[in-house]
Amino acid sequence: MKRTISWQSVLTLFRLDLRSRKDVAGELSKKDKGMKVMNVVFGVIVYALLVVGIYFLSRMFVVRDQMRIEFLTIATLLTMGISTVVAIGNVVKNLYMNGDNELLLRFPVNGTEILIAKSIYCALHNFVVSCLLTLPFYVVFGVITKAGVGYYFASILIMLFSTMLPFFVANLVAIPVMRIVNVIKNQFLLVLALIIVAICGCFIFYMTALSSILEYLADNNVNLFDDPVIRERVVNFAHNCYPFNWYAYLLNGKAQAGLTSKDLGLAFLYLFLINAGLGVGAFFVTTKFYYGTILKGIETEKESMIKRNAKNRKRSVFGTLLNREFFLIFRSFNYSFQYLAMACAAPVMVYYCNALASAMGTKSVGSSIVPGLTLLVVVIFVTIIVSFASTSISREGMVFYHTKVIPVSYTNQILTKLFLYGIVGTISVALCCITVGAAFGTEAGGNLLTPLDVGMIFIICELTVLAQTCLSVWADIKSPTFNVAGDGELVAANKNVALALFIGIFTAVIYGVFAMVFSFNGLAIGKLVINMQPAEVYGVLIGVSAALLIASACLFFINLEKRYQKIVP
Amino acid sequence: MLKIEHLKKTYPKSDRLAVNDISFELNPGEIFGFLGQNGAGKSTTIKCLTGILPFDGGTIEICGHDIAKDPIAAKMEMGYVPDNHSVYEKLTGREYVNYVADLYKVSLEDRNARLEHYLDLFRLRFAVDRQIKAYSHGMKQKICIIAALIHEPKLWVLDEPMMGLDPQSTAEIIAHMREHCRKGNTVFFSSHNLDLVKKLCDRVAIINDGQLIDMFDLKNNEANKANLEERFFKITGTYEKRLFEDYVAQESADMRPDLPVDEEPAAVTEE
Repeated sequence: MKRTISWQSVLTLFRLDLRSRKDVAGELSKKDKGMKVMNVVFGVIVYALLVVGIYFLSRMFVVRDQMRIEFLTIATLLTMGISTVVAIGNVVKNLYMNGDNELLLRFPVNGTEILIAKSIYCALHNFVVSCLLTLPFYVVFGVITKAGVGYYFASILIMLFSTMLPFFVANLVAIPVMRIVNVIKNQFLLVLALIIVAICGCFIFYMTALSSILEYLADNNVNLFDDPVIRERVVNFAHNCYPFNWYAYLLNGKAQAGLTSKDLGLAFLYLFLINAGLGVGAFFVTTKFYYGTILKGIETEKESMIKRNAKNRKRSVFGTLLNREFFLIFRSFNYSFQYLAMACAAPVMVYYCNALASAMGTKSVGSSIVPGLTLLVVVIFVTIIVSFASTSISREGMVFYHTKVIPVSYTNQILTKLFLYGIVGTISVALCCITVGAAFGTEAGGNLLTPLDVGMIFIICELTVLAQTCLSVWADIKSPTFNVAGDGELVAANKNVALALFIGIFTAVIYGVFAMVFSFNGLAIGKLVINMQPAEVYGVLIGVSAALLIASACLFFINLEKRYQKIVP
Repeated sequence: MLKIEHLKKTYPKSDRLAVNDISFELNPGEIFGFLGQNGAGKSTTIKCLTGILPFDGGTIEICGHDIAKDPIAAKMEMGYVPDNHSVYEKLTGREYVNYVADLYKVSLEDRNARLEHYLDLFRLRFAVDRQIKAYSHGMKQKICIIAALIHEPKLWVLDEPMMGLDPQSTAEIIAHMREHCRKGNTVFFSSHNLDLVKKLCDRVAIINDGQLIDMFDLKNNEANKANLEERFFKITGTYEKRLFEDYVAQESADMRPDLPVDEEPAAVTEE
């Protein structure tokens, strides 16, 4: 018997969904509330920086190059593209992968009611994300072009209209995406490779855009599209960029592109038909496949990797501990992303950051700044990688008891962890140094770094890696947080990660500033002027790093057995 | 095999003694049951003797090795099955057992032979090369048991081992406990199941509010077997005549109309 949809059930499910996402204010400690406020402040700062970036980007297009429609088209493409990616992730996560599906199906509600309730949340989420992304572009454009009030009203309507497309596309794409995720979820190496490519791709794109903006800021006379060929390509691209250019035409086509009312009417009609078509398609596809897909998801939730033709194998105690530690990281999407992918992508990230910083620094103060900047950049990225060690004990989670039961001393168990993090950190540092050496230490790279610089940077970074690893593990032994879920993975990074990052970045800044200051005229304190040769600067930094390593190793090893024994899961 | 003397344990930020001056000794070849209500101190005692928790007073010796002074040698003689069946879920069953076997330095020949035997015994062969995250509750329990036995420990410690297991697996574990003891080894387990303890154990200890209240033989002692429930209920402070009579009545054939009159329920069947 076919049951009609009960809107009361839909409303109840929607309320339940909202409540489950909401923090209960009474349960938050003062510290948690403080952290929440900090997160909001941080979010606002990041958003403000984004708006500033958009402002300068807009000026480049709109004021200097007079490419107004092109700007609006590319901005619409960018914002809708990002919105679509976010919406796909959101729909997949909430509609199909959320663990509450099994629970909800036990209630007297049908699949369509669950779908509608969850879709309302997804649509609202998509609406907020799209608006937050689109609004700065449209507002900044209006401010720069001194648009009238009518433009702002139109931009609000277009913004609302443009939020629908990503949501419909996301609903259509979510099911195939789910199938692909299910196929590759146990292909750990493939997943790791994809994550590395994605991180590097996003970072390169980000740094290239940032570099263009900073270049524009540094030299206001530079015209982004000086080359007529490039300019023509951009114009052609924007004019053929359907359906995104139609949104731009609707917004400002009459004034900027000389379009008639008929052209605008047609643009609106096309967009309406596309949205309606996709909306209807998304509705039928989702309602037809949703119930079956979530049932399949529940059935296959526990599908796991199967090792064919596996045999028993004997390893040394050290080898088996190392093997276990590595595979627990490698076989986890979250840990692979946080650690292995970051370690592999670090050389690429260091190269782009260093290229940008060196270019800007060389222009403003000279090439002597490059070794110090390189040191700063490498230590910062190494810190990000090494901070993972500050969850090494917490990640044991529910299985922590096992580390107490096995006939291996705590010192040996922790030394194995230290070895793994040390090796990964060392390889990453070595690759970073080889990359910057090859890129900036050659004739083609402008000989900005000498072999001495690269060698010394490697030694300082290596000592720092080991010191930070000791400190990170020490901090986690001191106060681990066994907050795990699902397959035993940490729910969220604990405070030790923040501590490790803070110490690492602080060290990086001190080292970098020290090297940069002494690479020029030295440090003048009153009448006292301290000058140092590069070798002396490196000597001091190596001495400090070695001292820090010794201190952190002492902190780490003293009473290690007793401190570990005291940990109660 | 296991000697606990004047064990005391207080949890941090608590002024209550979770374990208060407990002493007992386990002999080779015996199955020892450890009874008590929830929160009585059973798991705390087990966690102290396995090295999971530090303790404030007393000594624990396993095969003559002091767990506090010589923990590696003491742990080498012991196999432990936890109550929550927590294992490394990202590893496959075989990887996990091999990992444990490596830690206990089990030769390749021995681990091959033992693993083959246990995979058949616990019917886990079909899943041994799958990640443990795909295992059911009972399968996780079984892989924990296999890992605990892979080095043939002299002392096998189990914290509420039958929870969540199907009847056949329970029977297999019981049979294996007996087999393990026949080789001169010792089994120490905590349980809430009085019938199981009555059937299986040579000796039993009852703990209440952190203190060891009673310890007595069950092997060849029908009187003790018969009044185990009564002693348990009295010690744990839950004794009420009516409650006890209800309990006995539930186990009695003539009060169970669902059972044939001539068939005695397993719970009161004497061995």
